[in-house]
Amino acid sequence: MDHKIGVYIDTGYGIGEALDIEALSAVATGEFKVAVCKAEPYWNEPEKLAIIRNDIANESLTAVIIAGPSPRVFQQEFSFGEVITERVNLREHVVWSHPANDEDTQMLAEDYLRMGIIKTSKYVDREPFMEETDKSILVIGGGVTGMTAALEAAKAGYQVYLVEKEPRLGGWANSFHKVFTGQPPYDEIKDSPIQEKIKAVNDHDKIKVFTGNRVFSISGAPGMFDVIIRPDGPWIEKLVKEQNEWLAAKKAKEAAGGEEAETPKTAEPAAAAEEEPPEEIDFAHETVRVGAIILAAGWRPEDVSNRKNLGYGQYPDVVTSVEFEEIATKGKISRPSDGKPVNSIAFVEAIDDEVKHPLQYASSVGSLVALKQAHYLRSTNPEGKAFIFYENMRTPGQYEKFYQTMQDDPGVFMSRGVPVAVGNGTAGLTVELKDTLLGEQMKIGVDMVVISTGMVPATKDSAILNLKYRQGPFLPENPYGFTDSHFICFPYETQRTGIYVAGCVRMPLDFQSCELDAAGAALKAIQCVELVAQGKAVHPRAGDQSYPELMITRCTQCKRCTEECPFGMYDEKPDGTPLPNPTRCRRCAICMGSCPERIISFRDHSVDMIGSMVKGMHVPDEYSEKPRVVVFVCENDAYPAVDMAGINRLQYSSFVRFIPLRCLGNINMVWIADALSKGIDGIMLIGCKYGDDYQCHFVKGSELAQYRMSKISETLQRLVLESERIEVHQLSIDEYHRIPEIVDAFMETLSGFDPNPYKGF
Amino acid sequence: MAKEFVAQPDLQFTKDLIAAGATDLKKCYQCATCSVACRISPDNRPFPRKEMIWGQWGLKERLLNDPDVWLCHQCNDCSVQCPRGANPADVLKAARKMNIQNHSWPSFMGSLVGESSLFVLAVGIPVIIVLLIVYASGWSFPEGPVVKYTAHHLPPERDGFIWVRFIQVVFTLALLFGIASLVISLKRYWNSLETYNPVVEGGPRRDFWTSLVEALKEVFTHVTFKDCEANNIRYSAHLLVFYGMIGLAVTTAIVAFNFDILGLKPPSLNGPGTVPIKVLGNVSAIAFVVGLGIMLVRRLTVPDQAGGSSYFDWLFIFFIFGTGATGLLTELIRWAGGVGSAYVLYTIHLMFVLALLLYLPFSKFAHLGYRTIAIAWSKAAGRKIDLGVKPNYTPPAKSAE
Repeated sequence: MDHKIGVYIDTGYGIGEALDIEALSAVATGEFKVAVCKAEPYWNEPEKLAIIRNDIANESLTAVIIAGPSPRVFQQEFSFGEVITERVNLREHVVWSHPANDEDTQMLAEDYLRMGIIKTSKYVDREPFMEETDKSILVIGGGVTGMTAALEAAKAGYQVYLVEKEPRLGGWANSFHKVFTGQPPYDEIKDSPIQEKIKAVNDHDKIKVFTGNRVFSISGAPGMFDVIIRPDGPWIEKLVKEQNEWLAAKKAKEAAGGEEAETPKTAEPAAAAEEEPPEEIDFAHETVRVGAIILAAGWRPEDVSNRKNLGYGQYPDVVTSVEFEEIATKGKISRPSDGKPVNSIAFVEAIDDEVKHPLQYASSVGSLVALKQAHYLRSTNPEGKAFIFYENMRTPGQYEKFYQTMQDDPGVFMSRGVPVAVGNGTAGLTVELKDTLLGEQMKIGVDMVVISTGMVPATKDSAILNLKYRQGPFLPENPYGFTDSHFICFPYETQRTGIYVAGCVRMPLDFQSCELDAAGAALKAIQCVELVAQGKAVHPRAGDQSYPELMITRCTQCKRCTEECPFGMYDEKPDGTPLPNPTRCRRCAICMGSCPERIISFRDHSVDMIGSMVKGMHVPDEYSEKPRVVVFVCENDAYPAVDMAGINRLQYSSFVRFIPLRCLGNINMVWIADALSKGIDGIMLIGCKYGDDYQCHFVKGSELAQYRMSKISETLQRLVLESERIEVHQLSIDEYHRIPEIVDAFMETLSGFDPNPYKGF
Repeated sequence: MAKEFVAQPDLQFTKDLIAAGATDLKKCYQCATCSVACRISPDNRPFPRKEMIWGQWGLKERLLNDPDVWLCHQCNDCSVQCPRGANPADVLKAARKMNIQNHSWPSFMGSLVGESSLFVLAVGIPVIIVLLIVYASGWSFPEGPVVKYTAHHLPPERDGFIWVRFIQVVFTLALLFGIASLVISLKRYWNSLETYNPVVEGGPRRDFWTSLVEALKEVFTHVTFKDCEANNIRYSAHLLVFYGMIGLAVTTAIVAFNFDILGLKPPSLNGPGTVPIKVLGNVSAIAFVVGLGIMLVRRLTVPDQAGGSSYFDWLFIFFIFGTGATGLLTELIRWAGGVGSAYVLYTIHLMFVLALLLYLPFSKFAHLGYRTIAIAWSKAAGRKIDLGVKPNYTPPAKSAE
């Protein structure tokens, strides 16, 4: 595709002093014959921008390249409507991190400009993906979260369908005695306002409530989800069983090698519904079309009857905090065993030494509920003693005020403590605890024991979403059993675009936090339906109008794209070819990296584009002693880190060229081959940290890159090159100080090898 | 600890402790900043952290038999450093009050002095006794200028205000009662320390007298006070009061010996002021009142450095400062030639002195005994107090907020 390109070199920021601008301009005008090439300081200033706009109009430029500061700054200024705008980072990546007026620095700048021009010339014109979409929102779960989300979305003018499996709305909150006020001075609790909320939901004309119903299936994609809502019945157990079997089969397969992506055309499990003929719907149901889904299915208390030491189930006066809530609604607290008034209660956490992760038994909710329930006792019995034993007392934010209030109460006794055993005492129960703040193992006699249990997300043991997705009927989970997403940066997100989680199904939350969570998820759902209607990506590349296009005729049905997409974007046709659902796509381009046939491309990001950039740089011959290294960096974390290294004037070798990728998961093996056959001496990949607490914006991009590189030896062997020429690093955004260290160590490694013998071929 | 520990929290005890001045006791969240800030806390099982949770949990038995509450010298560093405003120093102070009350013999005296509701009675007893003495002595001022007469007289002479035999009998009895009660109370305290703190730490067990001598050495040199940061002026102030008190006691003892045993009349105001006994008395009295004045002013002006003050503190300050102030004022008024007012003030002075003697083992005054015993016990038990190395950290001076 031919573009009429204007190149604008910024000579400010010391760039003009450090580089030979004439020679640099000559690259654009001489080698590439661009239409316009100008060098001036500070192109971001209004009068300079006017010059660019003028050129666009007069010279009918279709693309503009700004060679100056990092693309991460002045994004608003350097935005020229439909005209393609590319940025070449001469400031942070060149003059701020390399010596001025140096031959190698000049070569670096020239290479960056070359790559920028090549990249620009590879842009293709393609319209955004637009189809008719629906803007209604489905809310699954009629508890406090679901109802709040429904109300928030409805108040913003969106049609809402609310599905609740129970015959009435309210969920667990129906049985709560009191809740936190969420109002200053934050030291009180109030009656649960759930009834007013139920009424508000029932009265709202934009909310259609389906009580006693469940979601039978969801197919489609954001903006066009088709949801079958079916009355609750025994069918759900069958579905759960099927899904469990499907999951077990999947896990067995993974355990057996996990090489499914490598072996094309294996038989797919039954739940991959797209392969099956459309089911006959022979039951009572209702079908709705929605644009986005809020999953607020809630939680259940963890079963503690198997913890023999806690005495639950053995002694009637040992209850869970959920059961205690119901006891407390009766007013004066009396013992379940004999109805006698309760004067002392031990609140303990169901800590299991064998369960390593504390989230599985304790959360801030557990702490807050224990404090709240201690208040129940103290407010009804002035001589009552409430003992709270905790692993960690977590009272986030303003809840600290309530904690302080309860702490000041002489009748509330707190200590860290792990329950060892609960037994029968002389006048009631005896609790034995270890690791207490009293410095020793201790026993204490009480009338009742209240166990704070873990909160198990509803998705754990029921079929809730029942997605007709190739990657399975439910949302991927994190190691703690909650739905997975890039949790810190993008709360409410899941690994399925357009489906947002809120409330206790996402993480243990109290009543007030559930309301906030619901509002957040409702906003995300609204953002989703609106952006999808405009053909734009939702997150994290919100507003991106590119989308993957597949040259399907060349597809070999290897299924790597359908397997590796972290967001389940691809379904599958019966013949095994991928069936893209562009509105599910996050535009991370991991599929582009996965495709061995290189048939997946975006209008502004393609295998050919990056490959041409690599091939376009100048590689000096082997006698010049100027090695060349290509570093593929993730644009989300590693690239800003390189910028920050420049801002801090950290210096590193001028022989490396950084190429940003949407995600390190873009990495296509062919680029490695391109680079090596071009004579590049070494290749580095710098991506986000992966693992259980991954930082990758696209969940598993950097991990996939690592995986792909582990398979690179074949390529290297074919080229007769050392495997040390390729390194993969994980870097978080704040570790910019490691950039020189990583780069220079790699240069040191390379100095032990001969130059790449393919130079000059 | 081999013995099984069954916690028996006493809600009432916690409430009592709070009422006794540990107002912010429950705020503690066991971060242990206090034990780190404290420069005199032993490195093994340091105070005041453990005392804080014992107090919160109403573990009466532990707190009432804990020698560590007396190792604390109330320097207030912990309270200044406490991030939660739990004021550990005040908690330990309240615990000390409970200690005194709990080991007092006879125990009703502990309540009499400790309960603010019994203030009128506590003050009324010495007032009435002294008024009775004055009444029995004739209920009238001797004639003539006061400078010519001593305050006391021995019938049939009537050249003094009060019949001296009353003073001799009543005050000696009061002193004996005070000392006897103190000794018995301290014995009870020592026994409970022995009972409830069976673990001998550090070195071998040493005998009582060696430990007591060491403890007294510490008391007389006031070395521990020097470690204080937040309230370091109290080292000088308390030293002044301490030696002022001793000076006054010695003066009184010599005068009483001369007058009561040898029958010598004390040098009256007409006599030269350079008489050694008068110099000692006056210097001691000035030191006593100045030292008390400093502490009093600091309590009133900078309570966040000096620590909070409870009824127990104020009552003791009232008695001891009243004794010093009325004594000194009486002398000044006599110099100034006042007659009736000097006798009235002297009467009041006698009331204060009597209160001090009677309530010695039950008021905060008893700290001189309890602290000495607790230090001695710790030394006997081998509780290591000196860290050897001083922490290389100077807490920042609390800025005026």
